[in-house]
Amino acid sequence: MHDAVTQAQTIDHSEPLPRGRRIPEHWWGYVLLAPAVILVLGLILYPVIYSFWISLHAKHAYLPIENFIGLDNYAALLDDQEGFWRGLKLGAIFAVSSVGLQLVVGVSAAMLLNESFIGRTFARGVALFPYMVPMIVVVILMRWIFNDSYGVLKYLLQASGIVDDPIVWFSPDNVMLTLILVSTWTFFPFVVIGTLARLQTIDPELYAAAKVDGAGPLRRFYHVTLPQIRNVLFVIVLLRFMFMFTKFDLIWLFAGAGGLGYYVRTLPIYTYVRTFGELQVGAGAALSVTLFLMLVVFSIFYFTIFRRDEQL
Amino acid sequence: MSLDYRMILARLLVYGAALVLVTLCGFPLVWMVLTSIKPDQEILSAAPTFWTANPHLGAFERLFETTNFPTYFANSLIVAGSATVLTVFIGALAAYGITRFRFRGRELVAGTMLFTYMFAPIMIVVPFYIVMRNLGLVNSHLGLILSYTTFSLPFSMWLLRSFFQSIPIDLEEAAMVDGASRPQAVIRVILPMAFPGLIAVSIFTFIVAWNDYLFARVLIGSDSLKTLPVGIQDLYESTVTDWGMVMAAGVMITLPALVFFIAVQRYLVAGWGAGAVKG
Repeated sequence: MHDAVTQAQTIDHSEPLPRGRRIPEHWWGYVLLAPAVILVLGLILYPVIYSFWISLHAKHAYLPIENFIGLDNYAALLDDQEGFWRGLKLGAIFAVSSVGLQLVVGVSAAMLLNESFIGRTFARGVALFPYMVPMIVVVILMRWIFNDSYGVLKYLLQASGIVDDPIVWFSPDNVMLTLILVSTWTFFPFVVIGTLARLQTIDPELYAAAKVDGAGPLRRFYHVTLPQIRNVLFVIVLLRFMFMFTKFDLIWLFAGAGGLGYYVRTLPIYTYVRTFGELQVGAGAALSVTLFLMLVVFSIFYFTIFRRDEQL
Repeated sequence: MSLDYRMILARLLVYGAALVLVTLCGFPLVWMVLTSIKPDQEILSAAPTFWTANPHLGAFERLFETTNFPTYFANSLIVAGSATVLTVFIGALAAYGITRFRFRGRELVAGTMLFTYMFAPIMIVVPFYIVMRNLGLVNSHLGLILSYTTFSLPFSMWLLRSFFQSIPIDLEEAAMVDGASRPQAVIRVILPMAFPGLIAVSIFTFIVAWNDYLFARVLIGSDSLKTLPVGIQDLYESTVTDWGMVMAAGVMITLPALVFFIAVQRYLVAGWGAGAVKG
């Protein structure tokens, strides 16, 4: 999986072909890149910079109000216990639990799918399913499976005697748990894809040697597998955390838009509510900028902590 | 023998675990299909059945005849299809330009493209909406097509760049020495060799556009322009839930994504390192 990246850095075919034309050769580089660069500059980078600018204003979504207020939007966030701080806490709970579960399930599944057994190709395909299902389908499907009255999960749990009283999955107390379970189901295949690709490159000799030394399955995992997949897990955890911390569509569709929205109002949901519900574009922009800065700070900490760890 | 016994036990464990994994991942989708073809009285039952003796397509009929589903489906096809064609075209031009010409700012462009990956949709959507409104592209398919094209471009360029880099420049030069113009050399030599990359980019873009909810929600207001994710959400929330019909809609939306998924599976692992999977 690293091939593409390393190749990109080492092979360089950039010498222009020996041809004289009316237009100097190197101009063609600009011409060919122009459409892509214009789109990315205009629709990604400009909006990002523009949102810094908007966040310094009291701006309404439709009314022509746009007053410069400096950092007031950010100051307001610090006092916003119900919206900002609570959203941060809920978002951290959601992201940490979900990424933790995705990691456990994903690594276990990858190790299983790395074993040889009849039907492995089929199992590999099915295991990637949940990730490819469109988010809106995940949501309506899980709302049906977790349904309080006719959901198949309720039936299975009761019929098998695991629970006596039905669990009300969509209640203020449980909705976050339900959301974490559903997000694990949808996103763990990402961990499988990355880990499995790496597992396949581990030299079987290493396991054979460990076996000769008398290491059991658990010790083989700690001393052979884990050190080998460590680097790929480092990237996976970082990406998964960033994706889950900024996750909007799943949470919003699953519970955020309805009456239970309050109980899963993480920062992305709150950003959306402020901007498109309360029409406070300035405050919404301040939230999205803050979200971005948090991710930057998080990445820096993450890299420093684990780099240091690596040197020990 | 104790050794044999342990090996059999280990095998059993592997198959047992595989069964659990396949059930966990596959059952919800089987349940969706089953619900969509069950008669109504079997759907709302306290003791659900895991098979139905009387499958029927009533839910699909209701979906197509009493809702705007066909419109949403057509809109999704138009938007995702156009975004895919546009991304492949613009992405291939850019990747060719960046691998075959040396010019100032080349590395900066490549680096910036990766950097844009840092921005989650929710961080862009607020200013993005205002920019689109100023451009007059709110509530139009063109606005959505340009959005999806732009969001897919960084990854597409990155992937195609590595494909183009792996194609020896000598092949092009040989074709040009034989009298082909540069565009002819590109079309006859480069594009066929980069075909797997072009396919991977198409599928990636199609799925991004087909699945997106946030930008479609924010940019589109009219019912006649809605794409599937937004249309289905509104359908689901506006009525007393007709579970059979909602599951039928789920089946209809998943099918195209699944067909593409099966086609792309082998590229998926290869593209993983380049960031093919996001979300």
